[in-house]
Amino acid sequence: MLKVRNYSIRQKLTWMNMLVSGAALLLACTAFAGYELTDFRQTLVQGLSIQAQIVGANSASSLLFNDPEAARNTLSALTAAPNIISASIFTPDGVLFATYSRDNSPARPPMPVMNAGQIETYQFTADELILVRAIEFQGKRIGTVGIRSSLREVNDRLLRYAGIVVAVLLVSLLAAFAFSSVLQKATARPIAQLAETARIVSREKKYSIRAPAARNADEIGGLIDAFNQMLEQIQERDSALEAARDELELRVAQRTSQLEAVNRELESFTYSVAHDLRAPLRHIQGFADALTEEGSERLDTAAKGYLNSIIDSTRRMDQLINDLLGLAQVGRRELRILPVQLKPLVEDVVRDLALETQGRSIEWRVGDLPTVDCDPGLAKQVFYNLLSNAAKYSRPRDPAVIEAGQTILNGERILFVRDNGVGFNMKYAHKLFGVFERLHRREDFEGTGVGLATVQRIIHKHGGRIWAEAAIDQGATFFFTLTAPISTSARPEAVETI
Amino acid sequence: MHSPNAVLRRLKQLLYFAVAVTAFVVPEAHDLHAQTPKPTEYEVEAAYLSNFGRFVEWPARAGAATEPFNVCVLGADPFGPLLDAALKGETIAGAPMAAKRISKPEEAASCRIVFVGSVKDSQLNGILQSLRVSNALTVSDMSGFSRRGGMIQFVLDGNRVRFEINLAAVQRTGLTVSSELLKVAQAVRRAP
Repeated sequence: MLKVRNYSIRQKLTWMNMLVSGAALLLACTAFAGYELTDFRQTLVQGLSIQAQIVGANSASSLLFNDPEAARNTLSALTAAPNIISASIFTPDGVLFATYSRDNSPARPPMPVMNAGQIETYQFTADELILVRAIEFQGKRIGTVGIRSSLREVNDRLLRYAGIVVAVLLVSLLAAFAFSSVLQKATARPIAQLAETARIVSREKKYSIRAPAARNADEIGGLIDAFNQMLEQIQERDSALEAARDELELRVAQRTSQLEAVNRELESFTYSVAHDLRAPLRHIQGFADALTEEGSERLDTAAKGYLNSIIDSTRRMDQLINDLLGLAQVGRRELRILPVQLKPLVEDVVRDLALETQGRSIEWRVGDLPTVDCDPGLAKQVFYNLLSNAAKYSRPRDPAVIEAGQTILNGERILFVRDNGVGFNMKYAHKLFGVFERLHRREDFEGTGVGLATVQRIIHKHGGRIWAEAAIDQGATFFFTLTAPISTSARPEAVETI
Repeated sequence: MHSPNAVLRRLKQLLYFAVAVTAFVVPEAHDLHAQTPKPTEYEVEAAYLSNFGRFVEWPARAGAATEPFNVCVLGADPFGPLLDAALKGETIAGAPMAAKRISKPEEAASCRIVFVGSVKDSQLNGILQSLRVSNALTVSDMSGFSRRGGMIQFVLDGNRVRFEINLAAVQRTGLTVSSELLKVAQAVRRAP
């Protein structure tokens, strides 16, 4: 049965048609054959009954006047009926009066017994019909006649019927098969085509094909139309999605180029502003120096204090302008990538810083450092900025310990600069690398707030990254890489604001 | 579960069994009847007398419907109560049959059938002549009865009672005898 379930609709329809027509035909043929058979039997009984009545009427005088000879003569007329095997006449007492047998066989099968009041009875055996009828003469029962008839004719007819039924069934089934083969095209073929189309669509994700439209406006036609409409909707949605994505990409590209343009403008603006600020500052410095050298004896103590403040401020401003120019230059400069031995480079920086921090107790530790492909000038600036930062924020320590080294994190080599200084609250770590962002008061630690921003810009320009870990009064560690991770493709130059 | 074939086979067996049972019962019944004593010659003749009327076409008579169908015995009566017994309850065309004893042929006007008992040979011709007026069917077991103008004469064929018919004599009275009766007659005398 499981196999039947997996038959195609075409096969199922064919089987259905054949079964239905076969069952209908079988029923009809059986009914007709059954009717014909009973009808024929009835006719047979009637015929035999008439013969019995004739025999009875013709043997009344024989019975009444005790003349078996005459009765035998009457019975012998039955020779003309080939189906009659034998016939007998009995007196009312049941005594055999006269008999006739076609093949002269003496054997006489028993006759069916008539009930009281019955005038006729009959009995069918496998191949015989036996009929017994009372002989009545002028309202009086004067004997009985029994006739045995062969059923060979009926049985032959039944056989012929069976043959015809089988032949009709076979021919009809063949015709039903032929018809259903033709008719199921209208039903099964569109379904099969629809199924095939659906298979192709889901396998190849091709939404442009369509199921062949059905000619009929029935459920199958509706199904095919709905299926095609669904495909169309999917196609429309696909193209809408594609258009939206294209537009988005275009917009991103536009925004990116806009931002890059703005960024370049800002950088050149910063550069020119810083550059132009220098000239007036030089004047202020020059006149302040002149005043110190030539007019200090004419100034009172208060005026001298103001003068010193002016000189101090101009120096700080000069520093600020230098830092901003450096930052801007990082953005404008083309990278000059070389293999750089970092250890001697860092030792160079440490030597400079040691001079700058004379009088302080600082323990410098330069660990093992690799050779890295990078811009040597910018790399030096990174280390300078980080190490000088470390020296600055570890000023309250005695001794201060400042370390530069490398470590492996998740299979990647990371450089670091560590100090045991005042550290910072990690809550503000995101502000660490912003321009002019400061986590400490200038009164405590001098600085322009540009150094770490410059460091980050250099590192990003190299495709690397930087982050810090710290806690208040626990020191700080800056981790960074100078190249992009090997595993991933070179990261695009980060877009950033100053 | 039985297959349809098995059920059919079972039905067939039942049928044969029923037939076999009747086969034993019916012949036994026949034997019982066969043992009844054989009827005497006069019993048979009385029965024949009650039946002859059924094979004859009777001309219409006034008041025939109410009148009994009389079977008369003329002269010596050999039947005694046998004839009355044979006719009791019998009817012909609605008329009840009855036995009647007459002593003279002239009394036969109301008779349909007249059985002539043993009479003297010399008297027979005269009797037959007288009876011709009554249009009755004449029957006798006297030898030479039918030859001499009687209509039906009983004859013994072995121990079987049979009869001869003088068709010419019957036709002369205007009666018609059924061919069925002629069929079982031992001899039929026709008009020369």
